[in-house]
Amino acid sequence: MGGSASFSFELAPELPGADRFSKYLTAAFRTMATKLWDFTVEGRENIPLEGPGIITPNHLSFCDSVFVPSALPRRVWAIGKGEYMDSWKTKHIFPAMGMIPVDRTGGDAAKAALDTAAKVLDQGHLFMIYPEGTRSRSGDLHKGRTGAARLAIRCNAPIIPTGHVGTVEVQPPDSVVMKPRKAVTVRFGAPMWAHEFGDPEDPRTLRRFTDAVMFEIAELSGQKYVDTYAGKKTETPDEPTPAPEQTSVTPRRPSVVGAHGGVGTRPTRPSMRASASSDDDETTVGVPRGRKVPATAGNAASDS
Amino acid sequence: MNLADVINGHDADQVALIAGDDVVTYGVLRGRVAAMQADLNGRGVGVDTTVALVTGNDAAFVVASLAVLGLGGVVMPLNPGSPTSELARKLNVAEPLLALVGHAGRLHLGDPAVGTPTVDLIEMDSNAASAQAAADGPTDVLIVDRDPDAPAFYMATSGVSGAAKVAVLSHHNLAWVHEALGQVDPPLTADDVVLGSLPFTHIFGLNVVLLATLNAGGTIVMQERFDADESLRLVQRRGVTTLTGAPPMWKRWLEADVPDDSLASVNWAASGAASLPLELFEAVRERFGIEVVQGYGLTETSPIVTLGRGAPVRPTSVGKVLPGVEVALVDESGTPVDFGDEGEIVVRSPGVFSGYLDDQDTTEAVLSDDGWLWTGDVGIFDEDGYLYLVDRIKDIVIVSGFNVYPAEVENVLIQHPDVSGVIVTGTADETTGETVVAHVAGTATQQQLEALAAEHLSRYKRPTQYLFLDELPIAANGKPIRRALR
Repeated sequence: MGGSASFSFELAPELPGADRFSKYLTAAFRTMATKLWDFTVEGRENIPLEGPGIITPNHLSFCDSVFVPSALPRRVWAIGKGEYMDSWKTKHIFPAMGMIPVDRTGGDAAKAALDTAAKVLDQGHLFMIYPEGTRSRSGDLHKGRTGAARLAIRCNAPIIPTGHVGTVEVQPPDSVVMKPRKAVTVRFGAPMWAHEFGDPEDPRTLRRFTDAVMFEIAELSGQKYVDTYAGKKTETPDEPTPAPEQTSVTPRRPSVVGAHGGVGTRPTRPSMRASASSDDDETTVGVPRGRKVPATAGNAASDS
Repeated sequence: MNLADVINGHDADQVALIAGDDVVTYGVLRGRVAAMQADLNGRGVGVDTTVALVTGNDAAFVVASLAVLGLGGVVMPLNPGSPTSELARKLNVAEPLLALVGHAGRLHLGDPAVGTPTVDLIEMDSNAASAQAAADGPTDVLIVDRDPDAPAFYMATSGVSGAAKVAVLSHHNLAWVHEALGQVDPPLTADDVVLGSLPFTHIFGLNVVLLATLNAGGTIVMQERFDADESLRLVQRRGVTTLTGAPPMWKRWLEADVPDDSLASVNWAASGAASLPLELFEAVRERFGIEVVQGYGLTETSPIVTLGRGAPVRPTSVGKVLPGVEVALVDESGTPVDFGDEGEIVVRSPGVFSGYLDDQDTTEAVLSDDGWLWTGDVGIFDEDGYLYLVDRIKDIVIVSGFNVYPAEVENVLIQHPDVSGVIVTGTADETTGETVVAHVAGTATQQQLEALAAEHLSRYKRPTQYLFLDELPIAANGKPIRRALR
């Protein structure tokens, strides 16, 4: 089934892109997707025809934001950089495509983005967010940010895992043109609900739900999963870390409580199996006997 | 400083210990400790002498440990129920001068296989009691001034097999916890009556239940052997305000044949040693009207890191970080992960031990130069700073790149009524790297368990192999011993 299947142009007067221009532009994009590319959509029946839903695709190419919306039976909104509104090239087209500009310069950009996304869902619309936060340069599927899961809980909306193949060939990284006649497939998985993953108050639920969504995306896109965030230095050591292109809805701060200063260096670990918990025996008693105080500096005083 | 000072500064008439009908005031306790110190001194116990204590939760344990500490010695408490070979293995690490053997450990008395000279603690304690009773007026406990970093306790931390590890805890390590507990709301006070049902040979029972209560001038109601009905009757009879237990104890209290208002005097109830199931929390609240909180700590942290006290209860959390403790969740490289992500728990606090006795390699593997302890536990913080435990880092099974925490899978399978125990491990798999294996005790069939897993677990977390066993390796504290099945 191609992208030209039935489509409803939802009226959302409070959101960008409600005008006639947007309606025609959306239709034009959808027609173009089927005419210029070998475009296949699978699992379209998984998209709820009404009510809220969170579309979570893998992210490989700039043109993912064209193909995934074109595969949906309904309009979808997403958050984009506020800077797009400063350029005449993008300030009409992007909102018509469902982009809601959010200023990223403020102190609480993540909260503003989250509130905006929640507004879209609370009004019963579809919202799209890339759970990897940025494009994967390696081609692997990276660890998911928990923002989509937070939104799903806050707005009682399902997540629709989405995987696509072929967009990198259409528009490789750093290319500004979309090469026609390539094959692109977008697949939607069954809706997933947060309450099936545990107590919404428990932070472990967010990660459990997010990982389950990423697993489904990996199955749909055929990508290999790696448990590190995209854009981290570990992904592609030779390239500079790309700035996230999507305004995050996940607040980021280090997981440290009560500490003043850094955690310091990792202790030397002769055996990765060694650890401090009392149920652990996989250690060696390797130091000569004799002295009845531990061989650490802090206890030297007890010899007195 | 000296940890033995915890018994000083309280009214002589204030009750310190209640063991059966034996009610011991602080005045009497000090007299008994002083009398036992004279006895111990005659046996060669002094500064830096190590003395092992092989007895249950009885008055003799309290008297003997304070006597040794006061003399400047080091106490090594050992589980009196351990097999002789295990006792010998642990004693061999610390090589104490003597092993004082009390009522609960009397089978070990005079056994040459113990490898350390044993002394009858029952007799010593009764002599000390007689000497105290005969003494004319109060007697001062001898308190040798020690360096704060000098060792006070050697805590054996090994499980059922493998090499024994002995954590060295200093006077300051343990005393700091008492200070910190005095700062949480509500603080422990002289009005508190604490049920001493957790073993004093374990760091929580020793430092949080026994020593912190003595330090505050409170009363400890002791039960040598755990009996659910009897302990709840004690709670009512003695007006216990603080009740602590491991999850299996809470389960038995829940089922005890006592009136539902038996816990009316309790104002703080806590569970430790293993994770408290939410259903158990809810059932206890339903029946007794109290909320059981959890905490997190290790022998190596004396033990408190987080505690469900002084903040509203979040049942599945282990509470908030205790004032004075630094906690970070870090990745492999030691970089703190983002808030809301899982990471290995690393801790720095005045309670963090100085190392394992005579074991520099293991010490260096867990303790960094700047004092951070790498716990090997994976945790996650919520927005408000409550900590939640996930699993042991080395138990994680990685399936197609995704982390599978065995505890999550175990918690699903154990819900089946015909399953009495589950241990989940990983094994190598050609296509997915690793795959999940369930070791099950019980009469449930594989089909039933597969259906349960399909209902509650993402596909990659579902076991691909089920192994049915008659019995699972479970440690004394109720924790499954996964390494035995890896």
